[in-house]
Amino acid sequence: MTVPDRPGVPYRFVQAWAKALHRSCYVPMSRAERCALLAGLADQLATALRAEPFDPAAGARVGAALVASDYTAPEVLSGTITVLHQRLLPDLGLAGEPAEARRTALVEGVAAGFTRAVRDRTLDDQEEIRLATTTARAEAERALRDSEAKLRYAALHDPLTDLPNQALLTEQLQRLLAEPAPDSDTRLGLCCLDLDRFEAINDSLGWPVGDRLLVAVADRLRELCTERGYLVARHAGDQFAVLVPGTSCAEDATKVADRLLATLAAPFHVDGHELAVTASAGVVERPAAGAGPTDLIRAADMALHWAKAEGGNCWALYEQPRSARDVARYRLSAELPGALRRGEFALAYQPLVDLRTAAVVGYEALARWHHPVHGQLGADKFVPLAEDTGLIVPLGIRLLEQACGQALRWPGERAGSRPFVSVNLSARQLQQPGLVGEIVEVLDRTGLPPHRLQLEITESTLVVPGGEMPARLTALANLGVRIAIDDFGTGYSNFTYLYDLPVHGIKLAGQLLRGVGRTGPGVSRTGHAVLAALVSLGSTLNLTVTAEGVETAGQAQLLRVLGCHLGQGWHFGRPAPPG
Amino acid sequence: MDRPAWAPEDVEIDRPSAARIYDYLLGGSHNFAIDREAAHRAMQVRSDLAVQAQANRAFLYRAVRYLVAAGVRQFIDIGSGVPTVGNVHEVAQRADPRARVAYVDIDPVAVAHSRAILTGNPQATVVQEDLRNPRAILEHPEVAELLDLDQPVGLLLIAILHAIPDTDDPFGVVGQLRDALAPGSHLAISHGTIDSMPEAGQQMIQVSIRAGYPLALRSRAEVERFFAGFELVEPGLVWAPLWRPEHPDDVDDAPERASNYVGVGRKA
Repeated sequence: MTVPDRPGVPYRFVQAWAKALHRSCYVPMSRAERCALLAGLADQLATALRAEPFDPAAGARVGAALVASDYTAPEVLSGTITVLHQRLLPDLGLAGEPAEARRTALVEGVAAGFTRAVRDRTLDDQEEIRLATTTARAEAERALRDSEAKLRYAALHDPLTDLPNQALLTEQLQRLLAEPAPDSDTRLGLCCLDLDRFEAINDSLGWPVGDRLLVAVADRLRELCTERGYLVARHAGDQFAVLVPGTSCAEDATKVADRLLATLAAPFHVDGHELAVTASAGVVERPAAGAGPTDLIRAADMALHWAKAEGGNCWALYEQPRSARDVARYRLSAELPGALRRGEFALAYQPLVDLRTAAVVGYEALARWHHPVHGQLGADKFVPLAEDTGLIVPLGIRLLEQACGQALRWPGERAGSRPFVSVNLSARQLQQPGLVGEIVEVLDRTGLPPHRLQLEITESTLVVPGGEMPARLTALANLGVRIAIDDFGTGYSNFTYLYDLPVHGIKLAGQLLRGVGRTGPGVSRTGHAVLAALVSLGSTLNLTVTAEGVETAGQAQLLRVLGCHLGQGWHFGRPAPPG
Repeated sequence: MDRPAWAPEDVEIDRPSAARIYDYLLGGSHNFAIDREAAHRAMQVRSDLAVQAQANRAFLYRAVRYLVAAGVRQFIDIGSGVPTVGNVHEVAQRADPRARVAYVDIDPVAVAHSRAILTGNPQATVVQEDLRNPRAILEHPEVAELLDLDQPVGLLLIAILHAIPDTDDPFGVVGQLRDALAPGSHLAISHGTIDSMPEAGQQMIQVSIRAGYPLALRSRAEVERFFAGFELVEPGLVWAPLWRPEHPDDVDDAPERASNYVGVGRKA
């Protein structure tokens, strides 16, 4: 590439300058661009040298132009000065005192212009990098705030439903409760909502469906609550809590509970299943002053239990007097896990007697809690609590193992005539997917032949439709274990399950014997007829019929006449420790 | 609680930054006293450091012009640093205004400065990512929006790979990047070495370790491995000034003083 000589500026001068500059610093320019730039600058210098009058400012302009083209290194200036000194006048064919004086003035101008421009650029650069640092810091701080907000959000929300969680609920409660002056009349309501039989859905359709149902429930609750300014939180598992600020009376809160239950009434469509869901709610409504979040949540929880106890699909309002008994229950409930660890649970055995031969053919194992303070507690005092908390699952299997182990040591003339042991199995246990496997393990570990084990399940357990439960019962029956229906005749179930399920026996509830088998006034003819019908039904279906609560010889005699097979009750023997 | 992966890191300017040291070596003033001190310490061991930086930058300039001439219209410049002069988008867009450039740097200050410079240039963007996380770079929304990775890309790894020690698997990282590029893509690498001056190089490594930014100055054979599967264009892997100089005058008597192996490879 050649650049034609300018008038008076030979190309060799431009080349020499270009070479000096190229070695001094990096500038993103092609060789041709560099030469064109310098030819232009050389032109300005040549023009200035010859112009009349002389304008020394041209030097400064050239110095600044170099910097503007990114020639900023000190070596650019030193190299330029050398080239201008050594070659400018000779290459232009100039000589003499005036020309030298002009050249000196131009070189001075180049140096000053260059330096000034470099200084400006340096200051600009410094400003830019400081600005960039400030921006980067602000950016990092913003990102940090975002991440803190994200972190805080994650800490205060339930990942499944994206609802506020228990922590945020507590925080909001705390805020609402702290705000009012002690004498303020601000009130608030809290509603704890629990889906009825959610376990059964999880159990029969699997937890992914259960999870999606929870999300759908959460969405409906959110829709209802957000527009009205209530805080809805996922309290735990299938429990939700709705905080209703600024109530004026209990009715304000119970109306919300009504709406909450109503909004869940329409069936949910989850993964192609149409799920009809009901819920129970516990409501507390009170002045904000003088309450703590924990008290409030506990009160709503207690009321929720009352609603559940009434059969669900309803709400209950927390009332003070009702709670003393419940507080005691709660304490006991809280002690259960420790008691299980410490092995405070044991079994008592009550004989089951053949009504024809009066021989003991089996024993029912009854759970007892040897409470360090309250003494021995019967199953009715703590089994419902263990059911509620889920502790029944580990407790049940522990007691089953004890029962099997102890039954093995019972004496008998020959293996076939040894008494069987009858153990209660709770609804909650029956919902456990691993139940059959655990029972097999217990039988293996203890070595008890399966035919010597009878499992009692209550009639109400069987009402839960669908699910894995029938399959589980069948698997147990296939092991050779006997299945008996406890409290038979007390529920309102139909009896079709007796055909469908592998049931070996029924146990008639003790209350059926009330007023039966006595002479004189109070004899219940109706009771007698019902009893006879049930015994007959059992016999027809080829089931072993056991009567519970047999207290008198008269009752035993009557049952024998009716064709009842086995009897159990104080008449035959009270529950007693093993051995 | 552990810092979650999405929480940001701090902006540190109480430590020298490679990007700002490089800027200083190129004659820029986008740097702080602590960067200049670090540069001076390094120059006590290797007085040619500025020469090396300038040779790098000059190679980048020639490589980008070569790539535009070869038909490449989109670039990813990883380790772009503080843009002083002669940035890729300036060079490329001067050759073809349609050229698109994604800059990537790990240094938040360098990224903030780049962003300021690129304001109003829809054909260029900058993202803060780590070379060691190539997926994050390739899948970054801004990169994905600007570039079409189904079309050839000029991937520029200028003076960055020698900052990645073998323990961080630079060969694996570059392999992932190579694999992600469409046929016709090019890879330009400039990589510091101690082949030309083993003694000073070793000292340099010691200085870098003490300064907290350990250099992995690699041999020629090692640098060649980064091009695995790519065909090196003429003149192959050479000292920086020797790669397609514009004029014989542009190459001085001792090109190995640059202590940089450079090359451009093409994906068939």
